Amino acid sequence: MMLPALLVLVLITVLPFIMLIAMSFAKVRLLGGVSLSMNGFGNWSDVLTDPATWHSWGVTLLFFVLAVGMEMIVGTVLALILNSMRRGQSLAFSLVLLPMFLAPITVGLLGNFLLDPTIGLYSWVMESLHLVGAHQSVFGSQTTAMLAVTTLDMWEWAPLVALIVLAGLTSVSPSVLEAASVDGAGYLRTLFSIVIPSILPVLLVALLVRSMDAVRYYDIVHITTGGGPANTTWVISLQLNEKVQATAVDGITTLIGQSAVIGITMLVFTIIIANVFVRVLDRRGLMK
Amino acid sequence: MSNTIMTSPRTRRVASGLAIVAVLWSVIPLIWMLITAFKPQNAIRTSTPEFLFAPTLVNFQNLFSGGNSVGPFIVNSVIVSVVSTIIAVGLGVVAGYGLCHWKSRGKKDLAFWIISTRMAPIAAVIVPLFVMFRQVGLIDNLLGLIVAYLTFNLPFAIWLMSAFFAEVPPSLQEAAQIDGCNKWQAFRLVVVPTTIPGIIATAVLCLVFAWNDYAFASSFAGPSSQTLPMTAGSLITQTGVDWGQLCALGLITVLPMIVVGLAVRKHLATGLSMGAVTGE
Repeated sequence: MMLPALLVLVLITVLPFIMLIAMSFAKVRLLGGVSLSMNGFGNWSDVLTDPATWHSWGVTLLFFVLAVGMEMIVGTVLALILNSMRRGQSLAFSLVLLPMFLAPITVGLLGNFLLDPTIGLYSWVMESLHLVGAHQSVFGSQTTAMLAVTTLDMWEWAPLVALIVLAGLTSVSPSVLEAASVDGAGYLRTLFSIVIPSILPVLLVALLVRSMDAVRYYDIVHITTGGGPANTTWVISLQLNEKVQATAVDGITTLIGQSAVIGITMLVFTIIIANVFVRVLDRRGLMK
Repeated sequence: MSNTIMTSPRTRRVASGLAIVAVLWSVIPLIWMLITAFKPQNAIRTSTPEFLFAPTLVNFQNLFSGGNSVGPFIVNSVIVSVVSTIIAVGLGVVAGYGLCHWKSRGKKDLAFWIISTRMAPIAAVIVPLFVMFRQVGLIDNLLGLIVAYLTFNLPFAIWLMSAFFAEVPPSLQEAAQIDGCNKWQAFRLVVVPTTIPGIIATAVLCLVFAWNDYAFASSFAGPSSQTLPMTAGSLITQTGVDWGQLCALGLITVLPMIVVGLAVRKHLATGLSMGAVTGE
């Protein structure tokens, strides 16, 4: 029964994967038909000795920690707020979820618009509150650019964390909460000693789901800062994309082999996360 | 009633206040996009936000007329996202059932392969596909985009449908087989109908993923296969950004996704956690 789907999946994923590995050890010529000539570990040593590679991995790691961290915290708080509502929960929840349905590229463009130093709504608010200087772009400053692009990602995806956490919160036993309340436990005490421990597995799922996406983060940073200023937001996918674009122009370079190397390093990262994910599901008995 | 943590009136007031803040945080940018889409140009380019203006459709008219009319791009977006969704869900339903009832020891490896495929960074997939597509002429071709979207939608559909099938009691199929159905009939006539909500939720999510893609489209598509997110991306690089047009385009792009997305809200938690969490 699985044969047709698996055949298609092999064709569109295993074949490219083999191609990716092959290209990482080759010079790729694109003009006049694709041809590969092997050059051993040339691409690998070029990429691994290039300071730009390590810089962009560093930026990716910083983005990863900031964005996923903020999304987990804000998302959990959103879920707790929504969970404590008695009336209007359904409507409020739907409204909070809306950013998730935007194309990430639209989120980036909206960010450009709202944070435009001369006509942006949010820039105007922040200027009025003296949070930023007049006509100062948050995307243009080395100190705020990273914060701005992570906040945009958080705006779109904290609702996803909230969605997953809320599903976990509804399964926290009411009788345990009641007992805690009878025993006189305060809000924070109940939160940290009962609620958080019992939704830990769900938090882990949210963390893994967001982690996978954070590695491939591209659209928003591409359209807002383009990696700047001074490469402070130059994440790994921009580094990879730059090499692909350069190849598209001149048609014959080792750059595409180098981009394959970067692709493989990114893939390793996700495979580790996928491995953890399957283990978590397995432990929860969801994979019988 | 519910399992809310504390229910004193003061806590509830605080919670309502916070809920309003949370909702505003989420919707203000969207409302601003909505308002701007109906604003005349001179009410957009102001240093203090303009709230009073005569609504106009000029931004939408500009989008659909002139050199860069988005009409054909809407058609492209619909074709690539709908076709890739149909193929992914069609194959995914059958294979998901297979995965769910897979008994041999290879199951975990198979599941791991499928989920790794779904999670693979688009950037890593773009490189080999770019080279392969160039070879077979799928650059600037709607079929190329459909294939590209299958690389994430097919494993997603298989995985998620497997999770939905796992919730169908095995006794259902056994009963059908006792009643004289063969395995395939039992699947088609008994099991599939009970998972229709799951199938619809899977389809909606595949549709949203494909519709919102920018990375694949900007690498593989060209003038004759341009999609809506790509158009949005290209509008900003031209000299002098027309925010009115961009907001109108953003609105056109997001509205159908909001409608279909909220229609399956009950299953969003299951779908977006890859079946690891069951929703309401």
